[in-house]
Amino acid sequence: MRNILSVYFIFCLLTVTGILFFPPEVYAVDELNCLQCHKHRGLSRIDEDGNFRLFYINQELYESGPHRHNKCKDCHTDIERIPHDPAKKVNCTQECHIVEPSGQRKFSHKSVAKTLTQSAHSKIDKNGLPKEHQEDYPDCKSCHDQPLYRPFSAFKGDKIPGVSKRAMGRCKSCHTGGDFAEDFYDHVTTRLHKTRFPMETIEVCAKCHEDEEMRKRHELDDVITSYKETFHGKLLTLGSERMPDCLDCHIVAGENSHLIESKTEPTSAVHENNVSTTCRASECHEKAGPMLAGFQTHVTYDRKKYPLQFYMLVFFKALMAFVLYFFLVLIFLELMRRLFPTFAFFKEKKREDYHEYVKLIKDSNRNKH
Amino acid sequence: MVKLLKKIIFKLYVIFLMAFTVWYGYFMYPLVFGFEGKEKAEASLMEIGQAHTEEERLFVNLISSQGKTQKTDLGYRLIEQPYIEGRFHHIGFEIQSDNVSICVHCHGNTPHDKSREVRSFLNMHAFYTACETCHIRGEKDNPNLSFRWYDKETGEISNNPLELVEIEESYSHSDGKNYYPTYGDYGAKIAPGLMKEGKFSFLKSHKDKSFVDRYLAEKDKLTAEQKSQMEKVIHKQVNKQPVECNFCHQEEKSYIPFAELGYPPRRVQELIRTSAVGMIEKYKEFYIPNFLSPGKEKK
Repeated sequence: MRNILSVYFIFCLLTVTGILFFPPEVYAVDELNCLQCHKHRGLSRIDEDGNFRLFYINQELYESGPHRHNKCKDCHTDIERIPHDPAKKVNCTQECHIVEPSGQRKFSHKSVAKTLTQSAHSKIDKNGLPKEHQEDYPDCKSCHDQPLYRPFSAFKGDKIPGVSKRAMGRCKSCHTGGDFAEDFYDHVTTRLHKTRFPMETIEVCAKCHEDEEMRKRHELDDVITSYKETFHGKLLTLGSERMPDCLDCHIVAGENSHLIESKTEPTSAVHENNVSTTCRASECHEKAGPMLAGFQTHVTYDRKKYPLQFYMLVFFKALMAFVLYFFLVLIFLELMRRLFPTFAFFKEKKREDYHEYVKLIKDSNRNKH
Repeated sequence: MVKLLKKIIFKLYVIFLMAFTVWYGYFMYPLVFGFEGKEKAEASLMEIGQAHTEEERLFVNLISSQGKTQKTDLGYRLIEQPYIEGRFHHIGFEIQSDNVSICVHCHGNTPHDKSREVRSFLNMHAFYTACETCHIRGEKDNPNLSFRWYDKETGEISNNPLELVEIEESYSHSDGKNYYPTYGDYGAKIAPGLMKEGKFSFLKSHKDKSFVDRYLAEKDKLTAEQKSQMEKVIHKQVNKQPVECNFCHQEEKSYIPFAELGYPPRRVQELIRTSAVGMIEKYKEFYIPNFLSPGKEKK
């Protein structure tokens, strides 16, 4: 009996000690207590190649996206203990512990990777051979940072950013357990509109497509600059979220968003036979005629490649400059005259004679009187 | 009189319109002939294109992307954070830079890279601990040094950071919600100093900073020998053997008085008894016996 009491006492003592000195810094996904170190904003170093490596994890933002139920080790599988060696590159196609609800299988991004191999961004060609300049082709992290939810509500028709408390109240009346309702709401509403602000999508594509050397290697046009010069691009720059970004035009409606194909592919959304259908998407130019996009959408002013466009640009720029600055100079000179009404570089001789003549007349009249 | 006044107003109006016309011509120039920003971006990329080696490419990339930030618009919240190429996880905010430290001026915020096992931890400390805290040592058993927080912007003694209170509050919430205190971005750093006649003064003063600033400004005029001399003088106080981890992370008599510096009781316990010490012990056990003495490590 004494032994049992002793064991019980030691158990209680250990429990109390554990609670007091090993406080549960409760993080939903932090079973290994990774945040003990990684919560510090300054945890960083410069690696051997001179790159800045920051190991900080912003827990609040981590919990604001679809990965919030993933444990660190679900992705960083090579980490077995703390402290650990430098982590290896994450393989996004590996299965994680989350069960995909529609198929009741472990979740994986394998299908996305498979789709990517069919796209213009694939590292392999149609024959399964590696393409030239492998390093230019993107992997998951080239385009994706940690995804974050962009929930919205539309309770009375108007789209309002953020979670609707009213809707959440209705969900929670049945789905009371855990944070299922929040997850579902965030996930679905985020997918109902753009998961990224359009300008952010443009910036992602620009990472590669603005690189002049890369464009030269693959004989690509400067599509980012040309997009920004379009009406779509200009309105986007002014903050409109309704304007199309790269994905809206380059992906066939209903297709996997990773299936971006070359415009030469017959199934591409921007193939000459399909581009007008793409423009006529229900959210865009629904009633537009087939010729709406019958022009070169990304006009590139390359003198050698597109001489007609180049000289057209030169002509219109010259015309615009001439008209604008001609009238500005005219207005400026007119204002000068208002400021100095009698100013003249050269006084006209005739006018001087005229003044003398008037003076003579006046004098003679005075003498007569 | 009224006529004269009218005339003056009219002339001023005409001058304003003339100025507006000139400004408008200047304003329209980039719109007619192209955007200045685009030309700059192209020039920057051209420069990168001409870089031949990886090192050259990185150098030019660093120069051209200075101060680059990344915006993520969630609709209900805009996140503006520093851009780090290849980074997956969001950072969320920029850490306040130290405009005061003479060391950071040349060595930057992440200078530690000798010891592979602890370099990131040492850099982590450099965001809230002044370099001289570890690199200018007081005696362990009889430390003459006192410690205070200094404001990263002004260099003056600052109050204990409020973020430390937030950390304490984050422990006490029991409503099931998560609270996210910030660790390491306090707008201030712990630095050592001396008490003279009841008045505290930091070891590194504004005068030292002026001295180094002047040296950097005049550096090109000095001979190679003079440069070496100056660098020796500047680093004279730096101790070859820095303060070791267990000087502070130990229960008996911590080198830095955490409680006095505003660390809440539970955080102090973590630092001197549980999590931090536990981590150090694990490192000591699994990795390197001399982890606690990073300066002694040869590799």
